[in-house]
Amino acid sequence: MIQPFTSDPLRWVAEDGQPIRELPARFTPDVLRGLHRDMVRAREFDRKLVTLLRQGRTTFYAQSRGMEATQVGLARSIQVGHDWVWPYYRDHALGLTMGVPLLDLVSQCLGTNSDPSRGRQMPHHFGAERQNFVSISSSIASQVPPAAGNALAQKYLGVGEITVCTFGDGATSEGDWHAGVNMAAVNGAPCLFVCENNQWAISTPLRAQTASETVHVKARAYGMPGYLVDGNDIVAVMEVMSSVAEEVRQGNGPALVECLTYRVGSHSNADADAEKNYRTREEVALWTGRDPIARVEGLLEHLGHPVSAEERADLIAATHREVDEAVRQAEASGQPDWRIMFEDVYADLPVHLREQAAFLRAEQTGGQA
Amino acid sequence: MTVTESRPADQGSAAPATRTLTLIQAVTEALREELARDERVVVFGQDVGARGGVFLATAGLQAEFGERRVFDTPLSEASIVGVAVGMAVRGMRPVAEIQFADYMGPGFDQIVSQAAKIRYRSGGQFTAPLVIRTPSGGGVKGGHHHSQSPEAYYAHTPGLKVVMPSTPYDAKGLLKAAIRGSDPVIYFEPKRLYRASKGEVPTYDYTIELGRGAVRREGGDLTLIGYGGVMPDVEKAAQALSGEGVEAEVIDLRSLVPWDRDLVLGSVEKTGRAVLVSEAPRTANFMGEVAYVIQEALFDRLLAPVSQVAGFDTPYPYVQDKVYLPGANRIAAACVKALTY
Repeated sequence: MIQPFTSDPLRWVAEDGQPIRELPARFTPDVLRGLHRDMVRAREFDRKLVTLLRQGRTTFYAQSRGMEATQVGLARSIQVGHDWVWPYYRDHALGLTMGVPLLDLVSQCLGTNSDPSRGRQMPHHFGAERQNFVSISSSIASQVPPAAGNALAQKYLGVGEITVCTFGDGATSEGDWHAGVNMAAVNGAPCLFVCENNQWAISTPLRAQTASETVHVKARAYGMPGYLVDGNDIVAVMEVMSSVAEEVRQGNGPALVECLTYRVGSHSNADADAEKNYRTREEVALWTGRDPIARVEGLLEHLGHPVSAEERADLIAATHREVDEAVRQAEASGQPDWRIMFEDVYADLPVHLREQAAFLRAEQTGGQA
Repeated sequence: MTVTESRPADQGSAAPATRTLTLIQAVTEALREELARDERVVVFGQDVGARGGVFLATAGLQAEFGERRVFDTPLSEASIVGVAVGMAVRGMRPVAEIQFADYMGPGFDQIVSQAAKIRYRSGGQFTAPLVIRTPSGGGVKGGHHHSQSPEAYYAHTPGLKVVMPSTPYDAKGLLKAAIRGSDPVIYFEPKRLYRASKGEVPTYDYTIELGRGAVRREGGDLTLIGYGGVMPDVEKAAQALSGEGVEAEVIDLRSLVPWDRDLVLGSVEKTGRAVLVSEAPRTANFMGEVAYVIQEALFDRLLAPVSQVAGFDTPYPYVQDKVYLPGANRIAAACVKALTY
């Protein structure tokens, strides 16, 4: 039984990779290597997308470097395609590990015809029906009340699913967050709330965000358990997430898990100089040294199954090739034209949209309106 | 009053069984029938359970369908609307009540960021077919936090459908259509007509397609167009004009998004004059859009400028509430002005 409301983050593996409590049997070297692979893939996706951004081929990107253990660990703790996820806008590692095709993610960032959301949203706002990965919105915490509703529906329908709702630390200041968490708790909805506490909401630090000691303690006010986890320790993330997810699935109501982690890079291209601007280099260096990927590598080494430099290089190269191929395919599919503007506003096209579409068709094709 | 319902009842051609209901009874009946028809339909909001809603629109439904289908929520419009979105995305048919349209503010983000956009932003992968019912409009001595007409905010948001009935027949048929539809619908109920509007309502199942207006009275001299709470006064004005030998055609829009442009334009083309009536504040009033479409389509057919009778651009006043509302005299005066232009 994992204890809620601990003062220190729950942790299984120390920063140097040494286990600090008995490693659960399921974390075999093979499993750990698989998790390492997922995290490296997520990190290299990140790196490649930042490159695409610098090349001007996409216009927005929200890096998640440093947060891989939190997102990969969460993805590996739920029943993908059965459970539902209402993510926030920094969750590409979560989506990628849940099996959202890399081509779809790249396509969404490029806004091409191969983008399932058809170029309607700004980059890095994915959605994937097959994985029940609900399309991301930009407005902060606005996914929280719908996630509560999704969970209420699951309870009503008796389908044995849970809903996962992720958000950053900044979201916990929004009214929607409190409304949604309260609603889920009052109704015993099977909702797993996950705070990816990366400690910065663009340039606002957690201490300017809340006077609470930290985020997970807020759960107490709503009558649900709150857990604090070292979000850079994938073993801890998975141990806590899978245990709490099972509790939620059993009908014990919602729970809040706070993963304490760090966004090593900038919030987005809007604050590319984060290290020089609102954060100290010392702080960034400290957290870069707590790298979740290095920690798993340390653990594997400790277990006598080290990841060789060659293996790592092959993994990185394979991901780069995968992204390059996805970019090629996405760009080859072309950009959606004016027609997509009018589709999916409503189930059918009402008369006023039919007329506006006809006007634009005439304008775009040089004909008469 | 002549009611022209261009779409006959959906079921059968046998002589329809009807009886007189109030508008709020028609709302309750629509909810009851939809709850009985489809297990996915649930009804919830502040006080809707045991009490049956502040206006008793849901009275008796919890007793009949249980707390699982009809339930109270925390006092939070953001979560009431947001939960409706999430339930709809997961395959249910939620009907949420917001106690007063004036209180939708905290749920606004959920309406415009989530409900209105999820189909579009997901490329149709996820949809939110939900209904938000809410009493709106003045005339019940409610002051400015119980009397507002905020329909224009929602009509301005692509992705939402906006409906406001004025008769029991329409209230039932439109609500049932909204619940069965595929898009999020903001369903405004003119609270001063809850018990004041009585009419014949069929006992058989019927729906009224969203986006279709109704001709309440035929006439060739001018077209009077309104929706919601102003309709009884619009008809009263038309009655008074008739006594003076002027026959106004009266149109009830019933739906604002989409709205029945063919019906309106056909009528104004015939009469050459249009007076638009609503009780919402005048600036950026939804009727401004109706006026714009009329002048754009029929500029050379108009015999007088299109005119508006609207609420004033003040917060809704408590003591002067009857003065604020466009009554029959003000409506008739606008008609006379259009007729003598």
